[in-house]
Amino acid sequence: MAETLPGTGGRGHGLDLAMRGIVKRFPGVLANDHVDFDVRRGEIHTLLGENGAGKSTLMKILYGLYRPDAGEIRIDGEPVQIDSPRRAIELGIGMIHQHFMLVPTLTVAENVALGLASPKGPLLDLAPVARRIEELSEAYGLRVDPGAMVWQLSVGEQQRVEIIKALYRDAELLALDEPTAVLTPQEVEDLFVTLRAMAAEGHSLIFISHKLHEVLDISDRITVLRNGRLVGTVSSADATKAGLARMMVGREVVLEQVRAPVEVGPPRLEIFDVRARGDRGTEAVRGVSLQVRAGEILAIAGVSGNGQRELAEVVAGLREATGGRVLIDGSDVTGADPGQRRALGLAYIPEERMRDGAIGQFTVAENLMLHDFDRPPFARHGFLDFAEIERHCRRLVADFDVKTPSLDTTMKSLSGGNIQKAILARELSANPKVLVASQPTRGVDIGATEYIHRRLLDQRARGTATLLISEDLDEILALADRIAVMYEGEVMDVVDRADADVGRLGLLMAGVRDSGT
Amino acid sequence: MGEFFTSAVLVSTVASGLRLSTSYLFAAVGETFGQRSGVLNLGVDGIMLLGAFGAYYTVLNGGGLWLGMVVAITVGLVMGLAMAFTSVTLQAEQGISGIGFYLFGLGLSDLLFQKLVGTPLPIRGFPELRIPFLADLPVVGEMLFSHSIVVYAAFLLVPVAAFVLNRTTLGLKIRSVGENPEAADTLGVSVAGVRYLTVMTGSALAGLGGAALATELGIFQQNLTAGQGFIAVALVYFGAWRPVGVMAGSLLYGLVASVVLQLKTLGIIPRSASELAAMLPAVLTILALVVAVQRERQPAALTKPYERGA
Amino acid sequence: MRKLIVVVAALALVAAACGGAGDEAGGGEGAAEQPFRIAVVAPSAINDLAFSQSIYDGLVAIQEEMGGPTKVELAVTDGTFVVEDAAAAIRDYAAQGYDLVIAHGSQYGTSLQEIAPDFPDVSFAWGTAGDTFGLPNVFAYEAASNQGGYVMGVMAAALSESGVVGIIGPIEVGDAKLYVDGFAAGVKAQDPTVDVTINYTGSFSDVALAAEAARAAIGAGADVLTGTAQMVVGAVGVAQEEGVLWFGTQADQTQLAPEIVVASQVYHWEVVLRDMIDLIQQGTLGGEAYVIDLANGGEEIAFNPGFDLPADVKQLGQDTIQGIIDGSIVVPAGG
Ligand SMILES: Nc1ncnc2c1ncn2[C@@H]1O[C@H](COP(=O)(O)OP(=O)(O)O)[C@@H](O)[C@H]1O
Ligand SMILES: [Mg+2]
Repeated sequence: MAETLPGTGGRGHGLDLAMRGIVKRFPGVLANDHVDFDVRRGEIHTLLGENGAGKSTLMKILYGLYRPDAGEIRIDGEPVQIDSPRRAIELGIGMIHQHFMLVPTLTVAENVALGLASPKGPLLDLAPVARRIEELSEAYGLRVDPGAMVWQLSVGEQQRVEIIKALYRDAELLALDEPTAVLTPQEVEDLFVTLRAMAAEGHSLIFISHKLHEVLDISDRITVLRNGRLVGTVSSADATKAGLARMMVGREVVLEQVRAPVEVGPPRLEIFDVRARGDRGTEAVRGVSLQVRAGEILAIAGVSGNGQRELAEVVAGLREATGGRVLIDGSDVTGADPGQRRALGLAYIPEERMRDGAIGQFTVAENLMLHDFDRPPFARHGFLDFAEIERHCRRLVADFDVKTPSLDTTMKSLSGGNIQKAILARELSANPKVLVASQPTRGVDIGATEYIHRRLLDQRARGTATLLISEDLDEILALADRIAVMYEGEVMDVVDRADADVGRLGLLMAGVRDSGT
Repeated sequence: MGEFFTSAVLVSTVASGLRLSTSYLFAAVGETFGQRSGVLNLGVDGIMLLGAFGAYYTVLNGGGLWLGMVVAITVGLVMGLAMAFTSVTLQAEQGISGIGFYLFGLGLSDLLFQKLVGTPLPIRGFPELRIPFLADLPVVGEMLFSHSIVVYAAFLLVPVAAFVLNRTTLGLKIRSVGENPEAADTLGVSVAGVRYLTVMTGSALAGLGGAALATELGIFQQNLTAGQGFIAVALVYFGAWRPVGVMAGSLLYGLVASVVLQLKTLGIIPRSASELAAMLPAVLTILALVVAVQRERQPAALTKPYERGA
Repeated sequence: MRKLIVVVAALALVAAACGGAGDEAGGGEGAAEQPFRIAVVAPSAINDLAFSQSIYDGLVAIQEEMGGPTKVELAVTDGTFVVEDAAAAIRDYAAQGYDLVIAHGSQYGTSLQEIAPDFPDVSFAWGTAGDTFGLPNVFAYEAASNQGGYVMGVMAAALSESGVVGIIGPIEVGDAKLYVDGFAAGVKAQDPTVDVTINYTGSFSDVALAAEAARAAIGAGADVLTGTAQMVVGAVGVAQEEGVLWFGTQADQTQLAPEIVVASQVYHWEVVLRDMIDLIQQGTLGGEAYVIDLANGGEEIAFNPGFDLPADVKQLGQDTIQGIIDGSIVVPAGG
């Protein structure tokens, strides 16, 4: 049994971790191939690598969720066997998993107390737990209400609960697996404050991310993995974005694409005073008017939850507009269904790619043909032309660099980047007049991100009018011709790329209209 | 209709409803534990039958009622161990394996009965236990406080189960394992351990429910439970996985059944409607509880086996 | 997935071994001539002191009478309250070439109607029912259970001091309905002032419900009870506990509650079975619908020797039996 109450006594802060020659095989994959990795007391050490590089696997081995096939783990010089999470906790290891390990139907305090002995023996006693949570919140800037139900919390709050869970168990080494993937820029800042405070106290920290500026910002050292193998460990001070990207991908990566000037054509997508309700029934889009011309990328910036997703869905025909009009290539499509919009030349890359963009249990080929299988040249008189379908799919997979073992592989077994490339292949294969791309590179590794960006720019050059919705300002600045900032369902302002800078956009995103003062 | 509202009739109707509820209340509270931890045991009815036979056979052979109860609990534990092994360790599809256990219990209890007993000779059950003072109260005394000990035990089990689930560290583990076993695992909680415990507890209570039935009726017969175990499983759903809700459902079911019986006996329900009326307990219970628990959702991990890292 | 299949298969096998397969109760060995082979499929246990036991006892009596297991071979599949299981058993026996396959349950009729034409050389019997479906190889048999019910109803009315008699039935069909109606008619014929409460619980198997129905009847003042079908064992227990009298049917229920069982209507199916076997041996495989009653000896009122029945009531019962046999009393056939 773990401690009754978290003490500060007993152990000092921090520990020295050394993982040596770690090997982990999964059927058909060598997820970790003789990986060496170590973390010192008081250090923030980043584990960097593309999706599938083996970062999470290494962390799960550290936490006792997987048994390594070979290798050794030493803590403060002593070899240890970590055969269960319980053992990891005893050793002072805490972990924030890529997918949160919270029980949504329980309160924060119950989630924290789970698995711990109670001072009242078999009886639960949550009062001291709540008190200690408040102390930890205070000490590390982790605001959270111990009595709140977890399902009511925002993603950022849930993450704080996860960190408190680890701290409560006296974690001296804390590993955070892609903690920023789900956070807003402000929440990332808050998290970094907490992490720095913990490191300053002597905690050892492992940070995983593929956002290079974050990594350079927070880390002391950076270890790069590629295809399960260790590429190298560098000190943050000596690292550059380009250098890290090269280590991750194994080749030169163009982080900033060249945006060649393109002649803009007539408006392809026109939105007039559109209104729509959000999932909870409140008005999420409040009178938005925008125009996107052929050969132009209009980006919508904003903190998530300000109506961007709803607006994209209204344009795609997946959400009803409660007011206003939407025109595609001059035709009013306000009441049209998604199929009719598609026929007019609309393509859509949804934010929830596994929910709205692909069918996980279907094969790659089936997903590629999702919209077109019943049309010539793939079907004639109701009969599918399998040879033609296969030819078409092979071409798409090759053209869009989708890494898949075969066309018959199920979609869900591909990595996020490859799923997104497959969706892109399907959506762009018809050379759409209008493209709505929602968070096209969220959770996608940089190799794929680079590729997707290049494709979007190619499409721009071919005259597509693109509405890009992104929370990643770097992405917006790299791609957009014009930038609309949304705040509480309204467009604060539309600025030209040439006039945009991060400071001004940040203010608009926070709802501050620049009045010249 | 006036005849029905005499206090004597009301008293005996309520008392009869309580008695009818008893056996599936045991089973349903037991099943609640399993389901809260994510395991659906559809074999309850079979386990009840084996428990019923175990208790009946023990009493018939002079082993006494208490030993009969112990035998039923033991039979339940053994069946629970097998069920847990199948659904937790072997990760079998729970609905299908549960039906397997039901058929096994149904067949084996009948086989043993045929081979070991044959003719259904009566046994004597627990005597009526009048609770001092309370049993002497007018009306409610007869209604609630002059039953056999198994009836009290079933109803006492409800607050105990609610307490265990909501107020103990074990209960917290059970609830967590049923909602997000991975989260529990990462905090060092043994998912399999908790599930073995709940399934075995649930099966022991199912065995006890069967024993309650056999001793209250003083008889065993092939398929004695007549599907009560399935009613118990349904009551867990309709009781929204809460012991008190499960009790409410059990009571409603039992009371409607006893009211229907009473009304038929008094000739208030015409004989032509008697088959329709026989469906009333199920129909009313489902309706009432569907309305009451509309917004509840089942434990997220219910029927899902857990495997680390999968 | 394979694990699962193995487990389920194993369980199913065990269950099948326990529940389904029939017991061979007898079977000739070394007999010169072929024994007459009879198979019976019954919905409840053959020792249920009720419906299924009645046919089994009849078959054993016939076996005895015809010279034991060397002359008559018996095969039994009981407990097939699931009709599909019963149908499978009936078909199996027919395929194995039994001379007579008895489907002892009115609920098996539809299955039998499908199976019998496939085995024109096998004789089938269906009971309790009055219909042979016009098939040449199906016999039907039923009991005029209203007659015995009437006799016992007369005695019940005479015995009741409270003036209330309770009857518990399963579902208002077939043999149960006939019996209940006969009993009620008997009560009313003896004493029109006696109240009869009739409660069909809606289930042939719910023992607990039958027990509570008995309590409800007692609560309504009944001091004499009767009931039919296999779930009444629960009601008998309650009657015993509450010290009210019980009349049984379908089998002698004395041993269930020796102190309070007054008498039981017992079926002697051997009366009609004997005739069926004769016909089959002469080459007629069906077409006949039999009824057992007091007159042909297929029904008998078995008094509990341990129960101190007033002589005048017993005499009343015997007079009623005689009256029914000689036709001076006509029992209504229900309605
Ligand atoms: N439980 C598992 N079973 C089979 N393969 C797995 C499992 N977990 C991870 N993998 C594979 O191992 C490789 C490394 O995965 P992972 O450690 O999750 O990478 P990262 O966290 O760096 O994105 C991937 O190819 C992935 O598909
Ligand atoms: Mg990962």
